[in-house]
Amino acid sequence: MSKKESTDTVQAAIAHEDTAVSVSSVTKSFTRWQRKEGSGKGGIRSIFRQERRTVTALDDVSFQIKRGEFVAYAGPNGAGKSTTMKLLSGMLQPTAGSVSVLGMSPERDRIRLMKKLGVLFGNRTELWWDHPVIQSFEWKKVVWDIPDPVYQRNLGMVTELLDIGEIRNTFARELSLGQRMRADLGLMLLHSPEVILLDEPTLGLDVVAKRQMIEFLKRINREEGVTILVTSHDMDDLEEMARRILMISSGKLVYDGSFDGLREITGNLTHLTVTTDGRKPELSGCRLLSGKNGVFEFEVDLSRLPIRGMLERLSRADGILDIEIRKAPIEQVIAQLYQNWRSIRLSL
Amino acid sequence: MVDKKRVSGIRRYFQLLGIYARMDLASLTRDGKFMAIVLAADIVSNISSISGIFLLAWKFGGIGGMDRFEVLFMLAYGNIVMGFLNMMGGCNTLFPSRIIGRGQWEHMFIMPLPYAVQLTVGIFPFTGSSSLLSGIGMLAVALCHLETPLPWWWPGMLVFQLIASMAVVTAASYLFSSLAFYAPVQCEEIASTVVYSMENAKSFPLSGMPLYIRCPLLTIFPAGLLAWFPTMILLGRATTLETFYPAVFALMLSLTAAYFFRKGFRYYVKKGINRYSAGGHRS
Repeated sequence: MSKKESTDTVQAAIAHEDTAVSVSSVTKSFTRWQRKEGSGKGGIRSIFRQERRTVTALDDVSFQIKRGEFVAYAGPNGAGKSTTMKLLSGMLQPTAGSVSVLGMSPERDRIRLMKKLGVLFGNRTELWWDHPVIQSFEWKKVVWDIPDPVYQRNLGMVTELLDIGEIRNTFARELSLGQRMRADLGLMLLHSPEVILLDEPTLGLDVVAKRQMIEFLKRINREEGVTILVTSHDMDDLEEMARRILMISSGKLVYDGSFDGLREITGNLTHLTVTTDGRKPELSGCRLLSGKNGVFEFEVDLSRLPIRGMLERLSRADGILDIEIRKAPIEQVIAQLYQNWRSIRLSL
Repeated sequence: MVDKKRVSGIRRYFQLLGIYARMDLASLTRDGKFMAIVLAADIVSNISSISGIFLLAWKFGGIGGMDRFEVLFMLAYGNIVMGFLNMMGGCNTLFPSRIIGRGQWEHMFIMPLPYAVQLTVGIFPFTGSSSLLSGIGMLAVALCHLETPLPWWWPGMLVFQLIASMAVVTAASYLFSSLAFYAPVQCEEIASTVVYSMENAKSFPLSGMPLYIRCPLLTIFPAGLLAWFPTMILLGRATTLETFYPAVFALMLSLTAAYFFRKGFRYYVKKGINRYSAGGHRS
């Protein structure tokens, strides 16, 4: 082996060690049965003869996540988010391409990988339904073969940070959704996973429970260096948690970058709130969204109207008492993107 | 080195059995009333399941060439077979089509244990052992009254036949459950249908029945291998060749079930099951 080859191999190994999740040219197809609509003879025939349709949930998707990253995975309903999560956790195998987590194949190295991976689906629970929460924790200790010092340390940590001291002895079936999610999250973390996959963890949570969960996830990512990949429909939550966002639409990866970069795609939308003495300010280039009791909200695209131009127009307007400029909610940005993609898809 | 690994594996297996047993005991003893109801219901259920046949045997001094206590022995044998499987089959492992059809195999993927271990450690020794215990009690009574002398190797043969009978039920359940990988909704309960129908049919003494009834019950629908045929062997009424028939049948059925179950499983991980029943993943 030449010196260069040897250096390349070492560098590749270092890069490999640095990668937590690797998805390479993954395609995943499903077969679905479909019954045609119809009446009379056609309707009767459709009862006995249904059509098989191949649906491509993921289409040549590739991405990598480094260790310690906190990545959001977003997309409209049916985009392929949960399929990706299932592929990463070994619940499904790709039709084509390869998946690896911590350098291991979820299919071939399942047992070894599951000792280092934490998976949480918001719509299902790993807790034992007819037992107190602490019983599920003790069950996990035995099944995952968690050493006693590690278990005690993690139990103390999740009890304190997730505030589950009071519900530890409550039966899982008697917990509220927010409590159940906290207990499930605590259960998932008992074996000190290096990578966490969260599918809709904030589903159905109230504001307080959601805040608690977000703060906790940010903390374990920051302090413990845990790699997190999270999906959610709530884009504001995702923006608060993650620094990087992967967006998927109709099975294709359509964006991989920062949230700010995502805003720029849609034209850097910004919201401007102007408080006046009651007079409506005339701001050309800004779209009025609402106006009531002297408070007017505008939407402005800063890629078309630079901030200096906007301030100039504001300075010329009469009766202004206060102004507030803030980025458009990411929800709005995404909604616009989804709409664009949908219209592109329909036009094809 | 290998021995150390094996010892550690065995220790871990017993740890797993232990945690499930503890959880089962905790669920039984969490409420005195609940415990009393469960125990009473189990006793009534077990007595009623065998009383019809046994009362007939008592009234007519036996059935089909078997005397009263030979019939009781057969009923006890059947109860031990199903009782042991019920005890080991907590978490629906005796009914894998439920796990598959409800999309709950996904919980098994993320546990760091081989599937075979996951399927055998979920025992319910306290809430699921009533049939086994009543079977052992009935067997003891029957043995005290049997007129047939039992040779020294008889206990070994009893265990051998019990294992074969249990393998037949388990293999049949897994064989039919393979269909749930392809049609999860339609086949969710196929394993329970197979197991319960075999369990219900096992209590009838087939002695004296025509061949066209006995043959299907020992081959296509092998309910006869759950109690009657092994009883005939254990009472010394079978040839040497017949002695090994249940074991050979169990082996063949197990191999067939393993083949089709693996095939179905490979299909499942490729195609997935777009179905999930919530409400506790081990319900």
